[in-house]
Amino acid sequence: MNDYQSVYLALSVILFSIGALGVILRKDAIVVFLCIEIMLGAVNLAFVVFSRANQSAEGLFMVMCIMAVAGAEAAIGLAIFVLLYRKTGTINIDKFNLLKW
Amino acid sequence: MGLLAIIICGGAALACALLVILSRNTVHSALWMVGNCLALAVLFLLLNSQFIAILQVIVYAGAIMMFIIYAIMMLNLREAGEDEFRKSLLSGRFIVLFLFMICLLALGLGLSPMALKGEMGPHSLAKFGEVNLIANYIFVQGIAAFELVSVMLTAAVVGAVFLARRD
Repeated sequence: MNDYQSVYLALSVILFSIGALGVILRKDAIVVFLCIEIMLGAVNLAFVVFSRANQSAEGLFMVMCIMAVAGAEAAIGLAIFVLLYRKTGTINIDKFNLLKW
Repeated sequence: MGLLAIIICGGAALACALLVILSRNTVHSALWMVGNCLALAVLFLLLNSQFIAILQVIVYAGAIMMFIIYAIMMLNLREAGEDEFRKSLLSGRFIVLFLFMICLLALGLGLSPMALKGEMGPHSLAKFGEVNLIANYIFVQGIAAFELVSVMLTAAVVGAVFLARRD
């Protein structure tokens, strides 16, 4: 039984860390959003690895739910970006310091 | 052979993720993110979950990334002020995050010796990701969560239209 679970898990952790690095360091809101998607993808990989180790479909169902959440998040997040761009003319996240105009 | 495939696809995924962070142009970031999604889909195929791989290609690389690229083109961004990003790579935040990354890596390697449960063998592993097993789980045990997911997606689309309307 050659399954390289530790390789997959290490890959998942490194991908998650790269996503966290981008969320912390970048200022462009769309790139921050893409980094959140990278983190969700890394979590999906870990879910699939553990679901395969347990031979159950629950992890795969969680992956589908995470994909649905990512789609909803894309819809809401990009609508918010369009709104912020219309109000302020930029999507640099350092420029946003108000919750309500 | 399997390890070689994992290393190639994982390296592609890592390189695409790094290029998402490091590229200055936002459209280039989005296109590298498509590459990351495709590499992850190949990794899911290597993990015997074909249905999730197909969903990854259709939903992530197809729908969500197209949506993001469309939004970038609507926003008409001017690239400015990414020079401080290179400087902030050496700041204290990065060092803290690096330590966090090391701890997570140790955690991942410590969790790894989890044995395969259930009936093991190449046959049952190849059957693991088949769509009828997933569908059986969804429509028998997870039916309430599945319907709630559909409600959430509807609410998200209605909320997005409400947010982005011109008044």
